[in-house]
Amino acid sequence: MTAIKEIAGAAEVRSAIAGIARAIAADQAVTSGDGEFALVGLYKQGVPLAERIKRELEEHTSLRPVLGELDISMYRDDVGLRSALPLISETRMPFPMENARVILVDDVLSTGRTIRAALDALTDYGRPGLIRLAVLVDRCNPEYPIRADYVGLTCSEDPARKVVVEFAETDGADRIYSAEWRRTFDRRK
Amino acid sequence: MELSWNRKDLLCLYDLSAEEITFILDTAAEFKKVSERRVKKVPALRGKTVVNFFVEPSTRTRVSFELAEQRLSADIVNMAADSSSLRKGETLLDTVKNIEALQVDLIVMRHSAPGAQDFIARHVRCGVINAGDGAHSHPTQALLDLFTIREKKGSFKGLKVTILGDILHSRVARGDLWGLLKLGAEVTLCGPATLVPREFESIGVRVCHDLRSGLENADVVNLLRIQHERQTAGFFPSTGEYAKFFGLNMETVKYLKPDALIMHPGPINRDVELASALADGPQSVILEQVTNGLAVRMAVLFLVAGCVR
Repeated sequence: MTAIKEIAGAAEVRSAIAGIARAIAADQAVTSGDGEFALVGLYKQGVPLAERIKRELEEHTSLRPVLGELDISMYRDDVGLRSALPLISETRMPFPMENARVILVDDVLSTGRTIRAALDALTDYGRPGLIRLAVLVDRCNPEYPIRADYVGLTCSEDPARKVVVEFAETDGADRIYSAEWRRTFDRRK
Repeated sequence: MELSWNRKDLLCLYDLSAEEITFILDTAAEFKKVSERRVKKVPALRGKTVVNFFVEPSTRTRVSFELAEQRLSADIVNMAADSSSLRKGETLLDTVKNIEALQVDLIVMRHSAPGAQDFIARHVRCGVINAGDGAHSHPTQALLDLFTIREKKGSFKGLKVTILGDILHSRVARGDLWGLLKLGAEVTLCGPATLVPREFESIGVRVCHDLRSGLENADVVNLLRIQHERQTAGFFPSTGEYAKFFGLNMETVKYLKPDALIMHPGPINRDVELASALADGPQSVILEQVTNGLAVRMAVLFLVAGCVR
């Protein structure tokens, strides 16, 4: 197995998150308007990332976003193509979706398939006024016409490798690295 | 290693580990919320075809499965025995092979012969879900009972559960048994000696032919329907006498713990096995069982469909 390749360390992750928060704060269509202002983290690593962005916003701006958590398992388009099913995590959408200004938050934007599913899931909760996408890492290899609005950093890692994001809260330290796909993971290509 | 699901069939809880049963219950908790949303539907099984093949008639289980399938966006076809070619002498396997040849992904099947689904599952590529096989097993009923108990009581460790009634003819009782035992509950089977065989003791449950000692200190009582046709077969003298000796009523309910749950898979014979006031009372979770049945069936369909190749 090829060694892990470091992409970003703790300082870079911190400044990337701060950058996302600044970009959100500067986006007037998001920061003002009717309806709830929400950050919705996608499982798994979008959830702690959304919390970090919320903390940044609360420290440096007057914005007070609500947090949501979304598991897109029921909206995937590859049922029957994966070798085994993981446990579905708890979806929490503790705000009215009607007219809400929602920022979807995920750690890595790769093909865009996850975000496609997330858009379907989100709109089943109601009709949001606006949806934006924030990601910590943009891999710049979209397969679907989906782009992020706020990007922490970009990388052009070989698509055959996976990009992993870790956070201090859950994994001990903030860092981003790339690694081989586990052999057990049934990646279709 | 993170837990994952990799079975294409659900035949009997006997086959599953405690972890797998918990996995289904956890998955069902998320699916329960889907039915509480404004849009009560997810695209999880879009493009999948499910055949509900009920060789033995059923209304409530079939409706519950059908609704679960619709809420997962599956395409569905219902087949009953009298409209199938079984009537014309076709073998069960041939009928199922013909269904499969239509590129079906899942078969939900009820049959009066124990093991019929197990036999079919070994001969087809598509997934098979047992919706009741004779007096043997009814795993989604067992799962909805477990889901309801867990939701109300939190955990199974040391929980005292009494199953009361016609154990002999009940697939509900057999289905529940395996699940309850695997998850650590203490199970008592109670009812007349003609309907509650001592043989069950060999799998680690208490068998009891006296109502009071069967109910005493129970956290949960799961009642089984007393079928009138059993009376003519001589298992008990009359439904009136059954109600007198084994019915749960305002007096006998006092044997249970004050916060005990009263469960029943339905249909209820009011004032035979269960007093009408108790069926509608605060301890009854009978209608919640029905609601949870939908969530559990959505979870099972979703998990099993994900493993059909």
